[in-house]
Amino acid sequence: MTERTATAPPAEERTAAPHAGTALIATRTLVVSPVDAFFGLQPGDRALVKAGEAVGRGQPIVEHYRDPRTIVVAGSGSSNGTSAPGDRWAEPAGRQGREGDAAPGGELLFRSGGKWRIAGGERPEPIEAPFEGIVHEVRAGTGVTVRTTASAIVGRHVLAGPTWGRLQIVTDPDGELRAQHVDVGAAGAIIVAGARIDAEALTRARAVGVRGVIVAALGIKEQRDFLASERRGRAAVHGLPPFGILVLDGASRRPIASPLMAMFKALEGSTVAIVGSPPTLVVDDATVELPKPSPDLVRVRSGPLAGAEGRWVGLAGPRRFPAGVTLEAAFVRFGGRPPVAIPIGDLERFA
Amino acid sequence: MTTVPRALLAIDAGSATTSVALLGKPGARWRLLGAISAPAGTPPDALAEILASRLVAADLALADHVGVTPPGVGDLPRLEATSRTPETLAVLGASRRAVGLLEAVAARTSWRVRAASPESHDPREMTELALRPDVSAVLVGAGDPPGPDERGWLDDLAGLVGAVARRRPELRVVLAGPVAARAGWAEGFGASFESAGERVSQAPALGVRSGPDEPLREILEGLLPDSTDTRHTAVRAVLSLADALDRRIELLEVGLDGGMRAMAMPGIADQGPNAVAVRTAQAALVPLEIDDAAVDAVLAWTTGSLDRHRMGDRLLDLRAQPWADASGEGARLRLAAARAALSRLVSSSTDIGAMASPDLTIIAGGAFAVAPARAVALAIADTVRRAGATQLALDHARLLGPIGMIDDPDERRELIADLADDLLAPIGSLLVVGSVPASRRGGARAGRLTLDGDRHGRHDLAGGEVSFIDLAPGDQAMATLEFRDAVRVGHRAKRVAVPVSGGVAGLAVDMRDVPLRLPERRDRRRAALAGWGELAWPGDER
Repeated sequence: MTERTATAPPAEERTAAPHAGTALIATRTLVVSPVDAFFGLQPGDRALVKAGEAVGRGQPIVEHYRDPRTIVVAGSGSSNGTSAPGDRWAEPAGRQGREGDAAPGGELLFRSGGKWRIAGGERPEPIEAPFEGIVHEVRAGTGVTVRTTASAIVGRHVLAGPTWGRLQIVTDPDGELRAQHVDVGAAGAIIVAGARIDAEALTRARAVGVRGVIVAALGIKEQRDFLASERRGRAAVHGLPPFGILVLDGASRRPIASPLMAMFKALEGSTVAIVGSPPTLVVDDATVELPKPSPDLVRVRSGPLAGAEGRWVGLAGPRRFPAGVTLEAAFVRFGGRPPVAIPIGDLERFA
Repeated sequence: MTTVPRALLAIDAGSATTSVALLGKPGARWRLLGAISAPAGTPPDALAEILASRLVAADLALADHVGVTPPGVGDLPRLEATSRTPETLAVLGASRRAVGLLEAVAARTSWRVRAASPESHDPREMTELALRPDVSAVLVGAGDPPGPDERGWLDDLAGLVGAVARRRPELRVVLAGPVAARAGWAEGFGASFESAGERVSQAPALGVRSGPDEPLREILEGLLPDSTDTRHTAVRAVLSLADALDRRIELLEVGLDGGMRAMAMPGIADQGPNAVAVRTAQAALVPLEIDDAAVDAVLAWTTGSLDRHRMGDRLLDLRAQPWADASGEGARLRLAAARAALSRLVSSSTDIGAMASPDLTIIAGGAFAVAPARAVALAIADTVRRAGATQLALDHARLLGPIGMIDDPDERRELIADLADDLLAPIGSLLVVGSVPASRRGGARAGRLTLDGDRHGRHDLAGGEVSFIDLAPGDQAMATLEFRDAVRVGHRAKRVAVPVSGGVAGLAVDMRDVPLRLPERRDRRRAALAGWGELAWPGDER
């Protein structure tokens, strides 16, 4: 018994250790590297790069049809008659296009009854690489993966994109950007817009030439309004310039976490890129050193104290909380106040 | 000195929660020594170490006896089950009717289903769906012979699926009906069906009427790796429990990514125990894509003043962080979402719902793990409307999945028989009375209930209401119900006597209608829900 207690301190001592029990807290990874960014291809879209090829920022990597449709053509699909699904359609020599025909090109979908169904369309537009990297994989009809060794700040999800621009902070971490405060001076920038942004401000940001928005929370209504606006814009004659929204936390309002805000401050003025898969902010500039969060910093991610940050004190054991619910809890010290018991499910720490 | 372990770890790694239970054999039988849960991703060893520390602090002699030490707990043998994230199945048919039939069957499996037909999607969109990286299998079906609505598109559909299978060698394909016999299949696939190998499976053709769907469901479930999946192993554990207790047991489970309903029956004579189960991704606590229907389904069970957008925000956050916000208003939201999920589960498992009321209903899954007992009982009463009496219990330590990992049925039965008293936390009993005359549903006294040995005497039962009667955990009684008119409690009678068991929630007597008909008007519906909710939520501070 003596030997064992010598190797394993009693429970009271363990909970008193500086960071004991933090393993129970959800760990949020802030930065990843390298990044395999995936750019989806719809049937008919054309990859403009090959695996192993180096791409630079702004280089077209995918040709995307803004008005895709299915076309039926007779014939073998290629001059040598060995076409397979996924190949590009080679228009037979001498075939005259008729008025109203889709633009030449397209992707062979399948053959049935001696006729090919082709995914083609009109008004092709390029999707450009938002950062420098190496093309890792190209799969026709599925997507292009570009790998970069740069660091990337991880968000919850991305709407639209990809896009890139210089990073500009326009509000405090717990601020809310209103449409009247969206300045034309932010044109070409990816702006850090605080805790939340409404649909009107997003529309204005896009109108004045902002390239992207980073925000802690975006409600479901704002998401739907934005995506509907995006669809309308994409279908319009002139299309839309690249734009993306990186949502860091979720849907309910809360401030941007301080470790993330510290990184954005370090990056202000640098060129960054928003990519959707994985949802990240890619930091091309290797000279910028991203600050690391304190190991005992914990953040309340939900509940009445959502967004509050404090220092880890220790496990509190099972505790009873409102609505008669008993949950595993931990003590957290906010500022100079006495520690407060918070459900461990409401806490997150950073790595 | 013996090498037989005297302690082991049971780990249930769910989509939202990691649960670790410490089992020990201090004497002749296995006992549950402790259990703890934390957000998914928490290392089980860290949880086990905390459990061991608590055991050492609480009872050092017991910890010594079973050989548990905080540094050594990680070396204990372990039973580990995991909740698998649903994979996506593209369901394609040559008509809206055909794809509807297929979708109804696929929805009763663990697959997340995306359906398309030429009437709703053009070939490019259907190809895009089947080529998506998250789609890992395609189900395409047709009648034999094909219906008039299918004939025009069937060749094209066969060609489309064949081409997709050719482009994605890793894709698994299930052909329900004579799809491979169409000329389009060979044109698209570039080879005959026989040369496709194991990744293309043949299933029965679509029937004109909905018939037994087991053959197709078995094929679809067979495509998924299930050796450690909680929703498969838990059924095996319930089967052993039904056998050990000689009781009919229903298991209702709702998790972040899906749900399950199973009914296990003990063996009769030389026939072994058997079970039927429906696993469905549709019964996820919060659907992956939150549309208006999903929001409305939860709003229908809430009594607060959230509008549709704010509720959508709350559900998005619950989906992203299922462990968070589990107290206060968050607990009520979780139970409302669980009710919506249970409703989807019940509508996907009408075959099990048609069976007689089980002796014991086990509730499992993170959705119910931390809710007050009465709130759980009320959630079951609200959604699983089956006249009769059943005992309610909670798989509080999440043991069913890990125990189901034991392959040997005898060994599994032995362990579960040892643990039967520990693995289930008694919630109480639920008594649902059906066919109460309409004239007595408005809160009028419709009958009375007498519990054997109850010092409080008789309890009046009001029509259209639900009431809780205290009955302590471990207590058992015979409940005698007497009514002025014949009602249905398993069978139709004016006087019914049923055995009931106690629990934290006591005995819940539900005199509402079967099925439950809530007021159409939102304010009246909320008022009714709030009235019943007051019985379930202790110290409601709103």
